[in-house]
Order: sequence, then C-alpha cells, then structure tokens
Amino acid sequence: MKALFALLGYQTALLARSQRWLPPFLLYGIILAVGIQPGRPVLDALGYSAAALLPVTAWLVRVCVTQEPTSARDITSAATSPQRVQLAPLLTALMGAGVLGCLGTTVVVLVSKAMGADNHTVVPIPEAVFAGLLAAAVCALTGAAVAALCTRPLLYSRGWSLALTALGSLLALVTTGSPAKYAVTVLVTGSRTGDPRLPLLAFAGALLFAGVAGAAACAMGPLRGTDVATEN
Amino acid sequence: MLRGVDLELPAHTLVRISGTNGTGKSTLLRLIAGIDAPSEGRIDGRPRTAYVPERFPGVLPFTAVGYLRHIGRIHGLDRRTAGARADEWLERFGAGEHSLTPLAELSKGTSQKVAVAQALLAEPELLVLDEAWTGLDAAARAELDRAVAERVAAGATAVYVDHDPLRLADAADSVHSVSGGTLIPAEPAAPNAPRLSGAGSGPRVQIIVTGPPGALPPDGLPGTPEHEIRPDGDILLTVTAPYSDSLLRALLGARPPWHIRQVEHREATKVSQR
Repeated sequence: MKALFALLGYQTALLARSQRWLPPFLLYGIILAVGIQPGRPVLDALGYSAAALLPVTAWLVRVCVTQEPTSARDITSAATSPQRVQLAPLLTALMGAGVLGCLGTTVVVLVSKAMGADNHTVVPIPEAVFAGLLAAAVCALTGAAVAALCTRPLLYSRGWSLALTALGSLLALVTTGSPAKYAVTVLVTGSRTGDPRLPLLAFAGALLFAGVAGAAACAMGPLRGTDVATEN
Repeated sequence: MLRGVDLELPAHTLVRISGTNGTGKSTLLRLIAGIDAPSEGRIDGRPRTAYVPERFPGVLPFTAVGYLRHIGRIHGLDRRTAGARADEWLERFGAGEHSLTPLAELSKGTSQKVAVAQALLAEPELLVLDEAWTGLDAAARAELDRAVAERVAAGATAVYVDHDPLRLADAADSVHSVSGGTLIPAEPAAPNAPRLSGAGSGPRVQIIVTGPPGALPPDGLPGTPEHEIRPDGDILLTVTAPYSDSLLRALLGARPPWHIRQVEHREATKVSQR
C-alpha cells in the first residue's frame, strides 16, 4: 500500500511537470464553456458536464499510462511490481478526473437554475449536486475503463490506440447498456420530472467495468513486457 | 527466448551472467528482477529488488535528486531517509554538484550515475545490474564495484551482466552463461585462479592483520579472503579489491577486533591466453 502511494506521488509529479495534463483539462473547459449556458435547468447541465468527462478521462488515462519511459517503468516495476506500476497511472488519471468532475459540477450548479426542464418544478440543490457528482464518477470510470482497454499493455500501436479510444468513448456515451449513457439518462429524465434520482445502478456497473478493465491491464503488464522488451 | 533455466540465487552471493550479444541475457535479468513474468515456469521469492537498466531515460521531468527521492519513497523509505540517501549516493559517485540539475540536461555519464544511485539507495536484497558500468568514468566504475561488494557483504544477492570480462573478476561467486536459449553454469569462482581464459585476475588488496594470539580470521568474511600466517604471527589476508573496504570494516567491527597493520593494493595481472 505504501509503495502504491509513493507510486501515485511519482505519477502525479510526472503528470504535473510534463504539462501533458493541460490539453485534456482545456478540452473539458472548452466543452463546458460552449455547452453550459447560465440559467438552464441544473440537471440537464449536470448530465452534459458528466458526459463531457468521459472522453476527457479517457484522454487523461492515455496520457498517464504512456508518460513514463520504458526503462523508468522497468526500474519502478522491479522496485514494486509490474501490476502496481500499471495500476498507479490509472488511479492518477482517475484522481485528475475527480478534480475536474468536482470543479465542473460546482461551476454548473452555480450558474444553472434549480429548476426542472418544465421551468417551474423546483429541484433541490443538495440532491442535484450529489446526483451530478455520481454521474460524473460513472462517466470518469467508464472513460478510464475504455482507455485502459485501448492502450498499453493491451494495445501498443499508437494510431489504433487513439482511434479506438475515441471510438470507444463515443460508443460508451450513446450505446444502451453503457453505465455512462444510463447515468446521463437518469439525470436528464430527472430534470423532466423535477426529481433528481441517483444513478446508483450505473455507478455499480461503472465500478465493475473499470475494475475488470484495470485488472486486465495490470495482469497483462508483465506478460506483454517480454514481447516488446528491447533486444540485448 | 529462454527455456529450461534453473537458477538459484542465495543470499551473500555475487552472480555473473555471461554470454554473447542477443542470447537473452537482458531477458533473463528482467525475469530475475520481476519486471517480466515467465510464460512458463515460475520464480519463487521476491526480495526487495532494485534494477539498473541498460539505458537510462534522460527525459523524465525531474532533477537528479528529485528523481532519486521519488524512487527512494517507492522503495518504502520515508521522506527524510530518501532525501539523505539521494544526496549521499550522488556524492559517492561524484555527481553531488549535479543534484539539482534536471535529468534532461545531464551528460550521459552523470545520467548513468543517477541510474546506479537509484538502485543502491534503497539497500536492496536483490540487485540486478544490466551493463550498469557502461558510460561511467573510471572512478565511478570502481565505486560501483565496491558498492556492489558492500551489498553482497551485507547479505544481498547481486546479479550482473557486463561486457568487460574483468568486471568484478574473481569476486563473483558463480558465473552462468546464457547460450542456445538456456543457462549453463560456467566454471565456478576459485580464488586466484583466472577462470575465463584471457581474463586475468582482477586487482587485489593485501591486508596484514594482528588478531588475538593464535586466533584465525573469523569465518564468513566479506570476499572470502585467503589467509597466510606469517612467521611473526601476523596474518596476511588477500582479497579481491572491490571487497577490501567491506573486509576492513568487518575486521575492525569484529569482537574482539583485529588490528590492521598494513594495507597494500596489488594491480590486476593479465594472463596470456592459453
């Protein structure tokens, strides 16, 4: 556990110092700036900001998983284990997404109107905030799972990885059965009825999806390493 | 690709892996270090491990000391110890003045010193070195020899690959050769006997000590020195140079302590190829 915390500190420092965190953070800001208009129904806006977090988290995971040079990974893998070295960037990206999700939810709640889509049912703010945070968590976990399945150690080719991550993120937002789609739908439906419901089932589904994807990536790390290990 | 590798790595041993290029030495070291998992078979026991890669990345966004602190923490050291060890090891390899230089701006030699320091600062139980001496200056290479001997004397296992056949020559407890996709034991170390034809014997240090009357040097001394009782009752110990400091430390720390009368460095001897 101690080693994992140290790895998280190291990965966070790598991310913070590399400035590669900036593009996904900016993307999230731009999506919100374009799509969130003051005075709109709060739950609709929260659904939108949660959905925006999915591709942003996927991008952040790609950044984190690929930011450590191979020989530096070898050093940290020997010091801890290849599985933990695979897990640490996933958790680092999720922490980054968590920061974004909290900021986004705060801004959205501040500028939106505590009303349902019919413009006269009052939506209780604390419940809206909680539903919004939960939906953001669902989208972040789903985005992280998609990206974890589409990058090393499961997929090494950069082009394919980028294309599949983008496509997977899009599909995760529109396909029925995806936790992200379900969570966003719960918020938008809640806006129509003026009754914020918590997307708990979607959250459980997203946790499971992210857990399975993360476990697959961590298990593959030390096995795929041999195939791509540098020649003698 | 390696098959049928059966290797035991006991504590207190220095193991050399030899073999020509492209035979899988680096692959074997990666398996030993726990970076890769074998597709068949298993590796038992996972001591605290440190690994020095063949090529160290210069592109990490840290200063030398900043990177070492992170690695120290990852090895489980607390913040203060990690910081102190980072400074100490950079100093030891003569890179103290570069501690605040970003890794990206370091010369190849200094960068390699950081690569070596990151492995040593955690005092690992298993030290895996893949051509770690390459790129170091002569003083740093000798310091690394001593540091490796020090770890082994402290009970660790060190496994190394180096292109120089004289590297830690005669200090290695066993030599294994990677050949034809498997591992075969090469000739075991025999003090004073050049094992690899043409390798010669490495530099040695001769230490004259006085102990309690009639006592023989204790067992299990670092580097298993040869001893010879001189007519005046003193004992002449001969040890491979990398182990000399560890041996002196052990002698001075023994109970009752041994008195050191004289220390003399003997240069390496090159023997002609048979």
